[in-house]
Amino acid sequence: MSARVAALALVCALAACGGRSQSDIAADSMEAATRMSRVTAAVANQGLNGDGPFAKWILPPELAEVSGIALASDGRIFAHGDEQGRIAIIDYRTGVFLKRFKVGERTINGDFEAVTIVGQDVYLLQSNGKIYQFREPAGDERDAYTLHDTELGDKCEFEGIAHDPRLDVFLLACKQRGKKPLDSLTVYRWRLGSTGVEGVSVLSIPNDLVIGANDWKELHPSDIAVDPVTGNYVLVARQERALIIITPEGDVVESRPVPGKILNPEGVAITRDGILLISDEAAKEPASISLFRWRAKAPPAGADTSSMPIDSASTMPDSIRP
Amino acid sequence: MVRQVMNMLSGGADRPIRRLLTYYLFLGIVVFALNAAWPGFDERMTGGGGGPRAVDTPTLLQDGLDPPPEVTVATDIVEARKVILSVFVMLLGTVVLMLPVSWVYMYARNTRGHNQAVAQTLIILPIVVAGIVLIVQDSLALAFSLAGVVAAVRFRTTLKDARDTVYIFLAIAVGFAAGVQSLTIGALLSLFFNLVVLITWRYDFGRNVLETTSSSKWVEPLESLATDDVESIVPDRDLMMALTPASAEALATKFERVSELLGDKKARFNGVLRITTEKLAECQRLVEQELEEVTKRWQLDQVVTGEGKPSELYYLVKIRKAMSPDDLITAVRGRAGGMIVAAVLEAGETLARAKEEG
Repeated sequence: MSARVAALALVCALAACGGRSQSDIAADSMEAATRMSRVTAAVANQGLNGDGPFAKWILPPELAEVSGIALASDGRIFAHGDEQGRIAIIDYRTGVFLKRFKVGERTINGDFEAVTIVGQDVYLLQSNGKIYQFREPAGDERDAYTLHDTELGDKCEFEGIAHDPRLDVFLLACKQRGKKPLDSLTVYRWRLGSTGVEGVSVLSIPNDLVIGANDWKELHPSDIAVDPVTGNYVLVARQERALIIITPEGDVVESRPVPGKILNPEGVAITRDGILLISDEAAKEPASISLFRWRAKAPPAGADTSSMPIDSASTMPDSIRP
Repeated sequence: MVRQVMNMLSGGADRPIRRLLTYYLFLGIVVFALNAAWPGFDERMTGGGGGPRAVDTPTLLQDGLDPPPEVTVATDIVEARKVILSVFVMLLGTVVLMLPVSWVYMYARNTRGHNQAVAQTLIILPIVVAGIVLIVQDSLALAFSLAGVVAAVRFRTTLKDARDTVYIFLAIAVGFAAGVQSLTIGALLSLFFNLVVLITWRYDFGRNVLETTSSSKWVEPLESLATDDVESIVPDRDLMMALTPASAEALATKFERVSELLGDKKARFNGVLRITTEKLAECQRLVEQELEEVTKRWQLDQVVTGEGKPSELYYLVKIRKAMSPDDLITAVRGRAGGMIVAAVLEAGETLARAKEEG
């Protein structure tokens, strides 16, 4: 009899300690709504808090080494942070981790550095200039990918990718050449499907012009994004903790330290409604994505804003000139 | 009680594999039922119970600007309850998964008896291992500390049977699986291990073809028990009187099975020779030389040594038809007489034949 009573008490205790309750789910929904309101208010310039972020989402351990982020047309952020082609999707307005998926039918290993999205297609960049093109799977299945080789791997170690819709080219931010830092801020433009040097141009701005009054000695860009309003290129550099804005023509609009207390800026994205998102790789603090109010800046008066043709060889390094 | 439940579930089946599969099936049904009634249960088994884990479903990320709310007493209690529950499920899981392993350890053996300490260790060890893994978790510092403590304690033991070591390894593996909250892996490990052990035991895998099978080793004594001779059926009256009716019935069933197993096969041995000696090694060598010459076949069955008293050698022998038991004893004494304290031959058919002739 006593054994039966003990068993009954145990079952009752287990039931009392059960899984997520309805109240937990309701509390999460309320929190998500509150966050959404906060972001909306900040965009409407009602909640700006100086130079700091108006929202900051702490990423899970699997994204501790978040390398790049990209904005999808529906307002979701695609982030990746490992060496196995794993993509995480986050709603930046509510800080909700939506889903994750792996690229390819079999796990692919590589030094993935950046990601960008064009329409429905996602492009994941390896540091050696190879780009994996794929789509977000509908469920848990793993879809195939298409591999593009820019053949620029021996020219540069890449850390950032973005798509310039006006020129319909991919922008590949060069971090360094081998172990040597570059003496200029270098962005390759590469057209999808082109091979060799065909369809490749380079935007190169001397470091002196970019650094300006800042105390940086070199530049190591870690990601690049295109401002959807102005079309300017926005870069972040991890080692220098730099935020750099240049025009597609190569004029420096602004260069300054990244806002807030971002220690390891590894990814950048800009929304159409004026939010700057910067991903921060984990160090002493856990990895995070911070949201800042973003005001698009026009190039300084008197700057040369003439357009640069895609195949222009004027600024192309000797090594890849046709 | 567990035995009764198993009997009920397996329909009284006495085949170990069938009983084992019944147990695991029952376990699976219980887990399925608990999971259906309580959606969070599977998370307790596979990592949802505590500590950082990968996100599988839409989840609110922590807000880096708003500090987490202060832990109230109520929140504290809820969290503590979840931790207690997770640890409880985990530790209970190790016991439930190691129970069949300990049964197999005790049952599937070719040698007589088992080590009770090992059988109990198989249940207890995984609990300790799981607890250690839980405490260490992702802390490198704790892991190093643990290594230091273990090195200082120098917990070492010698296991008689090499297979016991494998059981201990399994216990550690199941403990690890529970510690990292992967009880599913632990369950599969336990099931697969038990099945492989039972199958290798059942078919005497790896047996040297020149050796007798484990079952035939006991053919001679069991055959004498299974005979129609009333005196042989009850070799020890006091022992049989001490049995309960249920035990006696179970024993009778086993004898029937042995009888069926033996069929018309001829016995490989027809006598047991016991030699008592003070000089074990030398005496054994001489006796075996003589047995090689005078018997049809022989096999050393057991060596009993004791401090302060003579050792005993037990041989199973097949005596030649032309030789009487006394002839065998005389021959053995002739070879190693100076070392033999006592020599006794217990021979069934041969002895009877000698009596008839004598």
